[in-house]
Amino acid sequence: MAALLVELGVALVALALAGIAANRLSLSVIPAYILVGILVGPNPPTEVAGLSLQIVGYGEFVELAAELGIVVLLFFLGLEFSVGQLLDDRRRIASAGAVDFLLNFGIGVAIGLAFGRTLLETVLLAGIVYISSSAIVTKTLIEQGWIANPEADPVLGTLVFEDILIAVYLAVVAALVTGTGGLSGAVVDVGVAFAFLGGLALVAWYATRFVEATFDLPSDELFLLSVVGTATLIAGVALSIGVSEAVAAFFVGTAFSQTSHTERIEHVIAPTRDLFAAFFFFSIGLQTDVTLLAGVAGLLAVAVVATTVTKLTSGAISGRIYGLSPTRSLRTGLALISRGEFSLIIAALVVSAAGSGNDSLADFAPVVTAFAVGYVLVMSVLGTVLVQYADAITGRLVPLLDR
Amino acid sequence: MTIYETEVPGVGHKFELEIDGEERLVVIIHHDGKRDVYRRPDPDADSERLFSLSDKQARQFGSILEGAHFQPVDLDEVQVPLGDSLIEWYDIADLDEGPPIVGETLAESNLREAIGVSVVAIQRGEETIANPEATETVRAGDTLVVLGTREQQHEFEELLDA
Repeated sequence: MAALLVELGVALVALALAGIAANRLSLSVIPAYILVGILVGPNPPTEVAGLSLQIVGYGEFVELAAELGIVVLLFFLGLEFSVGQLLDDRRRIASAGAVDFLLNFGIGVAIGLAFGRTLLETVLLAGIVYISSSAIVTKTLIEQGWIANPEADPVLGTLVFEDILIAVYLAVVAALVTGTGGLSGAVVDVGVAFAFLGGLALVAWYATRFVEATFDLPSDELFLLSVVGTATLIAGVALSIGVSEAVAAFFVGTAFSQTSHTERIEHVIAPTRDLFAAFFFFSIGLQTDVTLLAGVAGLLAVAVVATTVTKLTSGAISGRIYGLSPTRSLRTGLALISRGEFSLIIAALVVSAAGSGNDSLADFAPVVTAFAVGYVLVMSVLGTVLVQYADAITGRLVPLLDR
Repeated sequence: MTIYETEVPGVGHKFELEIDGEERLVVIIHHDGKRDVYRRPDPDADSERLFSLSDKQARQFGSILEGAHFQPVDLDEVQVPLGDSLIEWYDIADLDEGPPIVGETLAESNLREAIGVSVVAIQRGEETIANPEATETVRAGDTLVVLGTREQQHEFEELLDA
């Protein structure tokens, strides 16, 4: 027990130090947490100057904490999902979201096929490069003060669209990768997933008053236990019948989004999310074998360049859909470049499917992890840095657009 | 004044207040209670952050703005209470299309019977007609000094606005 406690302590302290360093550099904490995982994990680098760096193993505790991280991340995504906003602004959100999806998912498909990947692998790669990081993008908007500008509207609208799309995508992909294979098997798996999640979504939609009354608890600790307990239990049940636990957690979150409990959840449960989300990014780092990065270097380089361009373009088009000036439209694109938590969740899904017996993914799982980690490390840093030089970039690009 | 409210997922709520012309104040209320206040001079300009306040500071600042501690007195708005009744001043707009009572005598407009208010004085330019006769005609540009309960005053105001 003593050794385990020390191991956990080392992990937490290392995460804290990395987070502080990232804050100093005005970068997102996500790449910092991953790097710490790589550094202290079982994979290379394993030692520095004769001192062992294999301090933290990828044990059951980290695995479970990381899984809980996925559940609470998606729970909050559902909680913050605004149906009202979506309906009020549905036309513009649908147009901007469609452009974002076609360009970025499309380029992912093109890259996957060009590199000779199978159809399933291509769909997984496309998902990883498609979706922007809500966490990084929102933080960027606040730090740049763009949140108070009109460019916040297309950025947030695109994120809302991506939220729904990632829920559907994860539901389908989870069914496909955990399935037994074969086309008819896949159809059945996807059918089961949609039946379960559709039922959950309906319950979430109609249970507002029930949720409102049931969770109206006097003490914060009972509230914390009840909410996290409910989300975890439903996610666990989903996973045990082969349905995406992440999407189940998303719908549990939406059940709370229409109640008056949202503010309290933001106060009481956000610290829990931050703790376990840190474990999730850390565990991704632990499982990453950086030596495999060399094998995906070409794919990574192409993906980074191509998807930076497509995200900038789709964002700029979205800005125009919202009637913004060229400068603000380009900012929309710049703000959305960061990829993060969702790309890693897709990679984690593949790894867990391969671990639980899907042999067809056994070779692809380490590759996809290395790719997703490399991609997120580059894109989260690149996105944040590009935004910091936004004025210089838009200053150069706007005259070109006007011509 | 129009106020626009939007939800900002993962952050909180955003309020935009139209102030003079195209200028807007933008207030972000974070879930943890923090308030960021921005000013945007016109639609093309970038918002500049004016200040940030904690939840507690923002409430205190808000109560000062609201006038909870000191309310400057606007003489046009002053109300003089007399038991249940109060006296209010009404400027009759100097327009061709004035309220229906313009051009009527006080007897014709029948205010005391219909609404219950009494016109206790009429200010007409430099002249003040105290306790006017029932035959006195209300003219555009007059200021009426009116006695009545709060409800009656309200009803009278609606008549003027009609």
